Amino acid sequence: MFVARSIAADHKDLIHDVSFDFHGRRMATCSSDQSVKTHSGSVWRVTWAHPEFGQVLASCSFDRTAAVWEEIVGESNDKLRGQSHWVKRTTLVDSRTSVTDVKFAPKHMGLMLATCSADGIVRIYEAPDVMNLSQWSLQHEISCKLSCSCISWNPSSSRAHAPMIAVGSDDSSPNAMAKVQIFEYNENTRKYAKAETLLTVTDPVHDIAFAPNLGRSFHILAIATKDVRIFTLKPVRKELTSSGGPTKFEIHIVAQFDNHNSQVWRVSWNITGTVLASSGDDGCVRLWKANYMDNWKCTGILKGNGSPVNGSSQQGNSNPSIGSNIPSLQNSLNGSSAGRYFFPPLDSPRAGSRWSSYAQLLPPPPPPPLIEHSCDADTASLQYPHPRRRSLSRPLNPLPENEGV
Amino acid sequence: MSGTKPDILWAPHQVDRFVVCDSELSLYHVESTVNSELKAGSLRLSEDSAATLLSINSETPYMKCVAWYLSYDPECLLAVGQANGRVVLTSLGQDHNSKFRDLIGKEFVPKHARQCNTLAWNPLDSNWLAAGLDKHRADFSVLIWDICSKYTPDIVPMEKVRLSVGETETSLLVTKPLYELGQNDACLSLCWLPRDQKLLLAGMHRNLAIFDLRNTSQKMFVNTKAVQGVTVDPYFHDRVASFYEGQVAIWDLRKFEKPVLTLTEQPKPLTKVAWCPTRTGLLATLTRDSNIIRLYDMQHTPTPIGDETEPTIIERSVQPCDNYIASFAWHPTSQNRMIVVTPNRTMSDFTVFERISLAWSPITSLMWACGRHLYECAEEENDNSLEKDIATKMRLRALSRYGLDTEQVWRNHILAGNEDPQLKSLWYTLHYILFMKQYTEDMDQKSPGNKGSLVYAGIKSIVKSSLGMVESSRHNWSGLDKQSDIQNLNEERILALQLCGWIKKGTDVDVGPFLNSLVQEGEWERAAAVALFNLDIRRAIQILNEGASSGKGDLNLNVVAMALSGYTDEKNSLWREMCSTLRLQLNNPYLCVMFAFLTSEAGSYDGVLYENKVAVRDRVAFACKFLSDSQLNRYIEKLTNEMKDAGNLEGILLTGLTKDGVDLMESYVDRTGDVQTASYCMLQCMKVKSESEVAQSCPTLSDLMDCSPPASSVHGIFQGSPLDVLKDERVQYWIENYRNLLDAWRFWHKRAEFDIHRSKLDPSSKPLAQVFVSCNFCGKSISYSCSTVPHQGRGFSQYGVSGSPTKSKVTSCPGCRKPLPRCALCLINMGTPVSSCPGGSKSDEKVDLSKDKKLAQFNNWFTWCHNCRHGGHAGHMLSWFRDHAECPVSACTCKCMQLDTTGNLVPAETVQP
Repeated sequence: MFVARSIAADHKDLIHDVSFDFHGRRMATCSSDQSVKTHSGSVWRVTWAHPEFGQVLASCSFDRTAAVWEEIVGESNDKLRGQSHWVKRTTLVDSRTSVTDVKFAPKHMGLMLATCSADGIVRIYEAPDVMNLSQWSLQHEISCKLSCSCISWNPSSSRAHAPMIAVGSDDSSPNAMAKVQIFEYNENTRKYAKAETLLTVTDPVHDIAFAPNLGRSFHILAIATKDVRIFTLKPVRKELTSSGGPTKFEIHIVAQFDNHNSQVWRVSWNITGTVLASSGDDGCVRLWKANYMDNWKCTGILKGNGSPVNGSSQQGNSNPSIGSNIPSLQNSLNGSSAGRYFFPPLDSPRAGSRWSSYAQLLPPPPPPPLIEHSCDADTASLQYPHPRRRSLSRPLNPLPENEGV
Repeated sequence: MSGTKPDILWAPHQVDRFVVCDSELSLYHVESTVNSELKAGSLRLSEDSAATLLSINSETPYMKCVAWYLSYDPECLLAVGQANGRVVLTSLGQDHNSKFRDLIGKEFVPKHARQCNTLAWNPLDSNWLAAGLDKHRADFSVLIWDICSKYTPDIVPMEKVRLSVGETETSLLVTKPLYELGQNDACLSLCWLPRDQKLLLAGMHRNLAIFDLRNTSQKMFVNTKAVQGVTVDPYFHDRVASFYEGQVAIWDLRKFEKPVLTLTEQPKPLTKVAWCPTRTGLLATLTRDSNIIRLYDMQHTPTPIGDETEPTIIERSVQPCDNYIASFAWHPTSQNRMIVVTPNRTMSDFTVFERISLAWSPITSLMWACGRHLYECAEEENDNSLEKDIATKMRLRALSRYGLDTEQVWRNHILAGNEDPQLKSLWYTLHYILFMKQYTEDMDQKSPGNKGSLVYAGIKSIVKSSLGMVESSRHNWSGLDKQSDIQNLNEERILALQLCGWIKKGTDVDVGPFLNSLVQEGEWERAAAVALFNLDIRRAIQILNEGASSGKGDLNLNVVAMALSGYTDEKNSLWREMCSTLRLQLNNPYLCVMFAFLTSEAGSYDGVLYENKVAVRDRVAFACKFLSDSQLNRYIEKLTNEMKDAGNLEGILLTGLTKDGVDLMESYVDRTGDVQTASYCMLQCMKVKSESEVAQSCPTLSDLMDCSPPASSVHGIFQGSPLDVLKDERVQYWIENYRNLLDAWRFWHKRAEFDIHRSKLDPSSKPLAQVFVSCNFCGKSISYSCSTVPHQGRGFSQYGVSGSPTKSKVTSCPGCRKPLPRCALCLINMGTPVSSCPGGSKSDEKVDLSKDKKLAQFNNWFTWCHNCRHGGHAGHMLSWFRDHAECPVSACTCKCMQLDTTGNLVPAETVQP
């Protein structure tokens, strides 16, 4: 059973994307505001790199760019002393149109970043020197022929699986074509080649997500289109296929749900790839889970505003007191920005205070009175309003948990 | 307002009221019904709101359009445009303010009667009302009235008099507009521009015009067909939408020459277009005869300057009700809320949700963003654990040290929560395998054989290896004068039964102890069945009786016992007939197979062997007892494949930890994602391996072990040695995935424990020493644990290793005797106390020190910042950084402690309850 609670973080603007870092300790959100200074358009997506590469974020925007951010610690002589802030390390300007998605490649491939744009090109960048994030070289350009809306790396780190990326398109032109293409890296040609096209998906695709592989022998791909679809891709063993060519897959659709009754916007897998969450135009978040017979079922419905859906037995008894003990971080959170970070407290997830502190990537254009400082347009500030330690007069200690070491 | 098609309006300030207008005006009040019952007479609008009718105003016939007065006071003042062009002020409800009472009923009369198409109150000067009229020869079509004007012309034109027949209070008639615009034209829609009080945008016949009231002779206009429903974006005052037929045009007033954008054309003509007042760039449109409201989300402000960025529009549609929608209205303040009305005046109140984006955190909670808000949702703690997701289960199991009990291997299933029969079976199997292996190895020393290596290969291999060696013989039933064919138990079958847990190690083939343990655990039915399968019907009946009387068991067991005792061997007896039909109605599978066994023909036991609810180990043990070699082989083969396909962990009993076992585990992982169990289980195989392989690879040991044949000779049967299993890509991949999972959960201590556990069983997985500290002068490692660095040539033992009473000065390099660097804080040369702990090198994990001693030791470790390369004693450094952000070395501004964010995270286990 899942019960929702609200996190007090009233953005002035719409949140376009939410992303957790590897450890689930920090969250980045991106939103649209006309006056965002880093990107001149609204930020579609934000994504974290593996912490092995440092605290690195990538964002992509309507303004035809993608950007890579890194958290650094402030110099001692300025007023941000002791605080970390985010610096834009590079801007990737190759796209001629809105960059619609950005994703870091799985860790084992090194620091690689894929972007896709409305002009139908997937670009794969690599930072050859992980110490220098200002240099990214464009390694591959894959033309998809269709306006791209979303990409997903296959997270499998197994040597048996070649790097693979799935691309979804939201092209709504009437000549229906397959909207999901899967590209695979070929060791011999050192290029990405089309491995599969999901011919049955002909409606605009809004989101696509490979499930964490978790040692499975096949891959699971969730697609958000006019319904939720789950595909499995089982690689046909190499011995059976002619070597050198792209991997062949047995593709099965294992689930297809139109319960959202309308467009599905996002899909997201939990860490084990066993629960899928989807959101749709009906304003609901639905959770899907397979039983032991591999039958997928809806295991939870929640309204977008966190209230339980009437008539849904799963949501019968949500605890009304939960909402009240969420500390309000509201006041300091006002303002519009391209990204915000949340640092959950160290205690268990059930504790009342879910997020103890957060950083704000960007200063708001007209600084709201509650924000105590502003900084350069392309730096980010970090604030740590710790709910359990209100002594904000002392230098904010960004390492509240360190004392126990 | 045509009488058939209602329109709907929210009150601009009283946010819980709206008006529905068709032939009359009806004022409604909206109430939340979340905490109360639906009142009598109110109309349900949505799941949690209802409307009550407050008042009806039918004083104004021939309504064509209605506009709500925008100022706070009076609240319920409405302007109604009529078919004759007159605009009447009317009110709903009682306004007590006498100041405005004289406004009500006021009429504004154009010179020539024609239809009034549109009305618009000026948002800045609340008294100004613009009315758009149809064309009448060369007359003006846009009239702006001041509702407070007292001016009534002395001479009322003749036709006005005719029209206002019956009008008694002529003082309420106003005929002189403040402004007259749009001569010789028709006006279809109007809106005031928020940029300036005196700018009015009008959709005229075939053009859009901006009238500037400061200079009425001039107007800015653009020819277009899209002249209907002009409306200004409340968040972006230069953006205007208008429509024509099925097409919406978006205009930028700064470059008014052509629409910046036209939205995809709808097949049916549009009837209404409205910007959302609570959210930027959201335009709602409605077409005729449609139950869908189409929303256009314009994320970006169009820029007039050069940039040819085509704005991204996200098209969405909502279906608030099943009927056709006549009209809709956005709520003025409530976020994205809208009310719709259908032609038959049913209404529906709903909220347009923003596109929700979501993300799972590695710990099992889901975060989503809806509009400006963030929500988090977590799996409830007090849940039925069977329904829990595997991620939650694995987390809990990791915390309970699942898989780490290497002594009592079977206990791991209890650590896993003691709820999954498959896991229980798996760990018991592994326990028996390890146990038996130990035992058979001991035996092997006395009598040469390779059973030791057979054990881990599972019953399938054991059975295969015994092909064609067994004969059956007749055995007496105890307590009955009946005989049944039972296979003579050869060594392999005994081994198999031992692995199944039916009999203990040794040559004793008595199932008594096993029965007793089952009885103790309250598994009466199972115990009875096992007793029966061992031809001891008396014991079976006794067990059932015991179960019935124990209180915990089912009282019906007595009945079953009675039925059993009536057993007769006669082929055509009533007992037999009834049992074979009625047994299918028994719920308990063991009771069911008992009767199946008793009623079966000799040699055909399918009723027992293929009863899927009976534990695999019992079925296999049964098969070993009763099936001939060829039958047994076929059965085991079949069952193994079944288990492999299903990924049923009970099948590990059959496959053992061989390639077959990996295949089985693969389908288990495919099915459940439980890499944790897979990793730990396969590590057990390494345990099996590490003992046998070590025994064979190490010559000294195998010499001692009485010339056991090399394992390779039996590989043919096993399809791969344990080493192959261990090196199987899949196994390594599961382990990698599980470690990754622990890392993501910040269960670093658990991961470290896992690694230790793993390296114990598989020494090859041990990582190499990571760091050396070398002396500045001689360049040699200053490590005292020279045993870990044998390649350093001459050992350091001469410089006083652990335990040596004649240590050299430890604050200096053991190689060249030059002093080591000083701690930045205490300014003492480092190294002093490190040597006081014998063998206390960093890399040595085996040193088992009490906690405080460990701390003391750690405090004296060398630490340094990789960035500025200043450092000192760890304890000093930590206490310094507790209060400081910067490096203690003067003039160094390095923020040593904050450089690594991951390093600042605390492992999740330490904060778990």
